Amino acid sequence: MAEKIIMFFRYYVPRFLCPNLSFRISRPSNRHYHKLNHNDTQTQVSVKQKPSSFITDTEIQSEFSHHAPGIARINNGSFGCCPASVISSLHQWQLKLLRQPDDFYLNELPNGILESRTVIKDLINADDVEEVSIVDNVSTAVAIVLKQTAWSFVEGKFDKGDAVIMFRCTYGAVKNSIKAYFLRAGGYAIEVPFNFPVTSNEEIVNEFKTALRREKGIGRRVRLAVIDHVTCMPSFVMPVKELVKICKEEGVEQVLVDAAHAVGCVDVDMNEIRADFYTGNLYKWFFCPPAVAFLYCRKSVMTHLDLHHPVVSHDYGNGLVKETGWVGTRDYSPYLVLPSVMEFVNRFEGGAEGIRNRNHDAVVEMGKMLAEAWGTNLGCPPEMCSSMVMVGLPACLGVLSDEDAMKLWELLCKKFSVEVKIHYQNPKDGELAPITGYVRICHQIYNKFEDYCRLRDAINQLVRDGFNCGNLEVCMFLPSSTFLVCRLPFIFGFFPRTRF
Amino acid sequence: MASSPDHHLNGDPKTHISKKPKLSPTFITAAEIAAEFSHHDPNVARINNGSFGSCPASVIEAQQRWQLKYLAQPDHFYFNELKKGIHQSRTIIKELINADHVDEVSIVDNATTAAAIVLQQTAWGFSERKFDKGDAVVMLHYAYGAVKKSIEAYVTRAGGYVIEVPLPFPLKSNDEIIAEFKKALERGKANGRRVRLAVIDHITSMPCVVIPVEELVKICREEGVDQIFVDAAHSIGCTDVDMKRIGADYYTSNLHKWFFCPPSIAFLYCRKSPKCPELHHPVVSHEYGNGLAIESAWIGTRDYSPQLVVPSVLEFINRFEGGIEGIKKRNHETVVEMGQMLAKAWGTHLGCPPEMCASMIMIGLPACLGILSEKDTHKLRTHLREKFGVEVPIYFRPPKNGEVESINGYCRISHQVYNKVDDYYKFRDAINQLVSEGFTCAQLSS
Repeated sequence: MAEKIIMFFRYYVPRFLCPNLSFRISRPSNRHYHKLNHNDTQTQVSVKQKPSSFITDTEIQSEFSHHAPGIARINNGSFGCCPASVISSLHQWQLKLLRQPDDFYLNELPNGILESRTVIKDLINADDVEEVSIVDNVSTAVAIVLKQTAWSFVEGKFDKGDAVIMFRCTYGAVKNSIKAYFLRAGGYAIEVPFNFPVTSNEEIVNEFKTALRREKGIGRRVRLAVIDHVTCMPSFVMPVKELVKICKEEGVEQVLVDAAHAVGCVDVDMNEIRADFYTGNLYKWFFCPPAVAFLYCRKSVMTHLDLHHPVVSHDYGNGLVKETGWVGTRDYSPYLVLPSVMEFVNRFEGGAEGIRNRNHDAVVEMGKMLAEAWGTNLGCPPEMCSSMVMVGLPACLGVLSDEDAMKLWELLCKKFSVEVKIHYQNPKDGELAPITGYVRICHQIYNKFEDYCRLRDAINQLVRDGFNCGNLEVCMFLPSSTFLVCRLPFIFGFFPRTRF
Repeated sequence: MASSPDHHLNGDPKTHISKKPKLSPTFITAAEIAAEFSHHDPNVARINNGSFGSCPASVIEAQQRWQLKYLAQPDHFYFNELKKGIHQSRTIIKELINADHVDEVSIVDNATTAAAIVLQQTAWGFSERKFDKGDAVVMLHYAYGAVKKSIEAYVTRAGGYVIEVPLPFPLKSNDEIIAEFKKALERGKANGRRVRLAVIDHITSMPCVVIPVEELVKICREEGVDQIFVDAAHSIGCTDVDMKRIGADYYTSNLHKWFFCPPSIAFLYCRKSPKCPELHHPVVSHEYGNGLAIESAWIGTRDYSPQLVVPSVLEFINRFEGGIEGIKKRNHETVVEMGQMLAKAWGTHLGCPPEMCASMIMIGLPACLGILSEKDTHKLRTHLREKFGVEVPIYFRPPKNGEVESINGYCRISHQVYNKVDDYYKFRDAINQLVSEGFTCAQLSS
């Protein structure tokens, strides 16, 4: 009941104006730092709740007052968000480095990284902090895992034609990485199709099993499975635990779970999921600044696999944890703010779990509201949603290609100030007037009911105006000629588009 | 003296930087310089700019503005601002280094990343049988440790044969380097081997000397070396950097060391040539296959702000008389002066002639300090930091056979615009105190 009251006030009470910047740019010359709850001596991260005084709505708005005003920002899934108090912590770390870098890199950095790794280990229920490495982002983690498979081909451990299995909706950048390493070294890629909208976990699991058994049946050795935890586009939650189990039963050697969205969005438990590798971004749903992510490597796997960061530095050969802790002179401050982020998260009732649950409930509620308003449907059952949900767009809008999706996205952004991702779904053969366009709405703690109303009304207006994507000119974001050649595939959707 | 911006400039060295220094005499003052670096720890004689560089307050502020811009509306930033901003930075760098085309200039995190990019393609060369097992890669003995490891991780692992060019230290002249390099190339070509790659430092890290890269590149071309990669981590803002004159295939330099950028940003220059294969960033993302420069401009969600502040950095530099050329020249002259002062005070010598230095110089430490191993250098460095507030790296030079009571420890001092002569006096006095106390490294615990 309390949660419903909180949601009511958040959605229906008009937001108060906040100052544009809730924190000061820390000028080194005046040495004034924004006060925060940063505790330099904290070594053990507490996930216990502070009694009573949870963060207020005004405080939340203040923490995100640096967000561009006037935008319905319902695309947290792409680039995430970072509250002002964590940004402040970030700047403090940056200044510490600049003040005396030698001392910082030698003495502070290793301790700070260990502290952050410990926070992550607890968050994801890993057994040992040595299983947790920090990297910039999931793209980096994927490169680490795939590189060792490339060496396996080169060094004769794998045979040419050995396979990697993944779903068709695997993230575009990950597919590129598979091409750059696994395929280039002689491997073969198996893409598992599935229907969308999805109706149950069973259909996903069955498609996977069928594809895996079929390939094994023709004598293919499947060396690696790459499985999303929360898919990007279209977005839904994969039954990873079951899929990992099937992989192990069917003799897939290594399982990599691409969990770019997972932490802060769904339950993440290494002991439950039991993958060999699991990687997640922390700047999407866990309030970290760009960019910090982790790569979890099961201990049993690390003993016999040669994993290396591709940027080789002094710690080469000392283990992945050490290697990732130093990849040359860099600004590592995003890696160091995890304790500050935990402090922020623990200001919320129920902590990270409370935030997750409320985001999920709110996004499902908003998704249903939109589907009802447009006469469409959700892209999956609510229990397969995270803090994001796909909502069908009215078919009359004519989203008939990836390019149309881009055009509509741009229009919503420029004309209606709504930031939301659009997905084009290939219709099944024979389907008449199918819903081929979907929005992916997100809910994070800074969102308001009005954000979704704005989207609802924008689409309703487009429908009333008889709008059709076919009428729009080519993407207004057409880049300058310098980039035209490289961006064309992007525009026309030959690349898995930047569907963050 | 060391910090004076009014230090007389003897003639104006040639410049190919398109943005010329301000002509009006309102150059940055000493007080303004001090304010720009007031975030430095005031208790430390920071004479190690070479390791991690420095970044003035006005550039830090510019960086934070970029960070905020992104956080305000990241989607918009990604689609409308980021590529433009990186392209602008690349264009400035292209001008600075006298490259032919902006396509030749990629921005990466640091020279370590650039080395991984170049060496990764060498590894593919072996793996994909373009190169034969046992084909050679040549590097200097004084190549940076991380680069040596990268060569091990990529070249040795893929089946290449690595040849180290031994170099004497202290050095007397470029001829010593050239002679050893030629010998190493001969070894590389022995038994019908091909030398697939030469990795040459422009300014070695430890011990620090300026290598005659132009001559070495010429020799490589004459001897049929496939590709030449110059690791110039220190160079930009420290010594002359001219791609057309140097003539290498690949050249990388950090901008956060001597070019006032925040950590971290470097460029990797790749000469446009049909024989240079396609390079890829090891972190693969959406732009894979679109050319290294475009790949490097998006390697997943990151904070790209260090790569966007280059225009602000140029503004800062142009507040100095002579711009970057003026800064380089004054740094060089001052560090040589300070080096000679210290060598005289301690009764030791410089590690190489002044003309083989840039903005850093090696000075022998008194032998009685008992620097007998690399471990001793770390201990002494920590001791100087903790007890005397002096930040300076130390190099252990193994004694040659038959040498008695040789100088085996050398410090590397740097000079950058924020340094003061007191920094060097503090160091001088610290060492003198240690000598007078009869200190030896053996007294320090591990």
